[in-house]
Amino acid sequence: MTISNYYLPQGREVEIFKGAAANGLPVMIKGPTGCGKTRFVEYMAERLGRKVYTIACHDDLTASDLVGRHLIGAEGTFWQDGPLTRAVREGGICYLDEVVEARKDTTVVLHPLSDHRRILPVERTGELLHAHPDFMLVISYNPGYQNLMKGLKPSTRQRFVGLSFNYPDADREVLIVCQESGAEKNVAQQLVALGNDLRRMKDHDLEEAASTRLLIYTALMINSGLTAKEACSVCLVEPLTDDLATQQAIGRLIDVHF
Amino acid sequence: MEEFIGDLWHRVVTRQAQTDYPDAQVELAVLTPQLAPFYRAMGGSPGKVLEASQPRAFNTQRRLVQRIAGTHRRFSVSWQDERSVRLPPSLALFPERDINEDLYFWLTALAAKQSYLQHWFIDNLRASYELLAEKPGLKKTYNRLVSAVINQRELLTGSSGADQEGEMAIRQALRDPGCIQSLPRTKVGLLPVPLWLYPPPMQIVSIDSEDNLDECESGMATVSQIYGSRKEANRIDDSKETDGLLIFQLESLFSWTEQVELDRCQDEDDEDNLASAVEDLDIISLSRQRRAGAAKVKFDLDLPSVHNDELPVGDGIKLPEWNHQKSQLVKDFCLLQPMLADDAVPVAIPEHLNRTACHLKNRFAKLHLQRQWQYRQPYGEELDLDAWLDNETSPVCSQEEQPCFKARTANARELSCLLLADLSMSTDSALNADQRVIDVIRDTLLLFAEALSGSGDQFAIYGFSSVKNKQVRYNLLKNFSETYSDQARGRIIAIKPGFYTRMGAAIRQSTEILKQQKSQQRLLLIVSDGKPNDIDHYEGRYGIEDTRHAILDAKRQGIQPFCVTIDDKGNDYLPYLFGSQGYALVNDVSRLPTLLPKLYLNLVGLNS
Ligand SMILES: Nc1ncnc2c1ncn2[C@@H]1O[C@H](COP(=O)(O)OP(=O)(O)O)[C@@H](O)[C@H]1O
Ligand SMILES: [Mg+2]
Repeated sequence: MTISNYYLPQGREVEIFKGAAANGLPVMIKGPTGCGKTRFVEYMAERLGRKVYTIACHDDLTASDLVGRHLIGAEGTFWQDGPLTRAVREGGICYLDEVVEARKDTTVVLHPLSDHRRILPVERTGELLHAHPDFMLVISYNPGYQNLMKGLKPSTRQRFVGLSFNYPDADREVLIVCQESGAEKNVAQQLVALGNDLRRMKDHDLEEAASTRLLIYTALMINSGLTAKEACSVCLVEPLTDDLATQQAIGRLIDVHF
Repeated sequence: MEEFIGDLWHRVVTRQAQTDYPDAQVELAVLTPQLAPFYRAMGGSPGKVLEASQPRAFNTQRRLVQRIAGTHRRFSVSWQDERSVRLPPSLALFPERDINEDLYFWLTALAAKQSYLQHWFIDNLRASYELLAEKPGLKKTYNRLVSAVINQRELLTGSSGADQEGEMAIRQALRDPGCIQSLPRTKVGLLPVPLWLYPPPMQIVSIDSEDNLDECESGMATVSQIYGSRKEANRIDDSKETDGLLIFQLESLFSWTEQVELDRCQDEDDEDNLASAVEDLDIISLSRQRRAGAAKVKFDLDLPSVHNDELPVGDGIKLPEWNHQKSQLVKDFCLLQPMLADDAVPVAIPEHLNRTACHLKNRFAKLHLQRQWQYRQPYGEELDLDAWLDNETSPVCSQEEQPCFKARTANARELSCLLLADLSMSTDSALNADQRVIDVIRDTLLLFAEALSGSGDQFAIYGFSSVKNKQVRYNLLKNFSETYSDQARGRIIAIKPGFYTRMGAAIRQSTEILKQQKSQQRLLLIVSDGKPNDIDHYEGRYGIEDTRHAILDAKRQGIQPFCVTIDDKGNDYLPYLFGSQGYALVNDVSRLPTLLPKLYLNLVGLNS
């Protein structure tokens, strides 16, 4: 079997995920943005031969967006399954990305699915679905100050196997940047070193740390002919902050690296 | 020629008074907003601050120095200790502005790289060498700096001579920090190397012993002209004075609390009727005219003089307290005294907060406009198809008209927030060289008020501290009914560390005030720096249980309490008081001011 998604493990997450899948347990992945959570889920889905239904959560997301709704067709109204219901029926990984963004009244539909019952009551059609054996619920979120209060309810959290992700260590991140962007190793090394310096500014000067994703973007832009400084400026400085003094400080930092 | 050198030398050594290249001068204060993030990114400890260094005496090449009439032998070099990195308050060493700027960044990078200094020469070399190896981009800057420095040193010391062995070693080391292993012994002191860090000055240690006063004073005279420099001697004196004051205050307070029971009944017979309705508490109309009467009370009660600027409002409010041993709410056990600093001068937002305040205010102002879809509305901009279909397809299709619209409503948030700040004595403790906890709390309250005044949310700010059950001081800083103004800001700026922390009573009173607010969501935000405690039995389990009781009661009344603490032991007791989701522990206290508004957004579910 060839896997089209490239994923470089950081620890034992692959084995843990497999174990959870084998036991029908839901998984919760915590980690900062752009550290490989989504990529990991896609990779695992491929390895397990399951389909992924990804739902990007936001605060206007309703339970119907997950479960399904009635629509109007040529012959009157009909029911359409939402991504969650489809995964439950057909078997597959339902991946709720940034789950804390969703309102709490939306996520309650997950409860009966995430414990041993593995059921989904579909109120509007009066159905009670028992999850397919290959159904798996995966949620991810970014802990940290912004989400301090929006964190999951303890009653929700307690139902999940938890995995904590972080940015890969420097050597791995260099490999990932090279692989994903096709950049030269020394360029990737410089970018990763810069990225790690920028990560130290989190919580003080930056709300979010520079992600692996941003480093990959920067490498891609360098490949297409931008100078390193230009690429850093458009892919790292601007996305990370609007504050002028911080931008200037990052500018200095870039000068120190290239 | 000698005269020329002497003159140059003079200018270098005394450049605090007369800079080398005034046109090219860069100020530390201007660059700090860039240097500080840069320092952290380069691996510097996030707890350290950047400060201006003071000139210190240097035992430089005497032959020359003597020529320059002796007195000015002070030089601002860079150094650091666990508290901060000190850099020269301004730099004008080189004729080009950007080289002077580069020097600041170089020194900052070096300080981040090298957190301790054992051997001045070797350690600076090693750090420079490693830094250049790690950050290839620094090479160019460094080389430019080195040639500028060496040029200058050549002008000042000449390029040959018997005493030059050390000087040559330094130049060589600067050019190639990887190669030289040791500095040859020299008879004379060397010219300071502006690219390197120095050990902390010994002087600081000696400053607080009185005998050095003379030396110190002459030093201070020059130093005090330099903007941003801290004055060690003054700081030490200040703290001594404050300590003495505190003890004094406490003594007079104790005597007062002993008296209070006696005096109290007399008071009640007084025709003055200073007592005003308890309900007035959150209304600020009582001030000037009462002051005369209040002064009398203060005289009678021997209130501590330092608090003369605060007006006790009314006779106090009796509040219950929970006795966990008896499992009983003891009625009227506490006397809470509302306080109003009605003499506080109205002030504008302090300079150092201005930028953040503007930023927050704008950000919060946008929340006004934030809109959300409301579903199943009787009327609205769009059809709520889901609602309609639901109704159509539901097994029991209702005949009545169903609300089938969705409407985007502008921020229907109905919210009142009371911020209650712990102003106990512990907030007097020093956080770093320039700040006490109370200063951070002050900044926090100020920024919070700025932010909320932008959003238009209802808010009030109170502070509290206590001395036993008969005196729970409850400081009105901004109440719900007044708009946030310079006046209220003045009151916030005037806050001072008080006494102890009888948290239960303060929470009960805040609950009362919040209950009067008609809003849907009522938030009680508590900023604290430690456990509830007082000098009577109110400590340990007793204080915790009473506070918990007050919190549970607030929750029962539909109020949402949340605690933000800077107490690193907070995890031990806060979950019991507020629930695991009901508090936040802020490790880095200096971030509290900017963090609280963010937390507020999370609490009210508005984080963008
Ligand atoms: N361990 C990893 N192996 C392979 N690629 C990775 C890894 N970690 C991060 N990436 C890269 O970083 C990018 C961003 O990761 P992503 O999964 O989208 O982040 P998240 O979902 O955590 O926000 C991915 O597209 C991938 O290119
Ligand atoms: Mg993702």
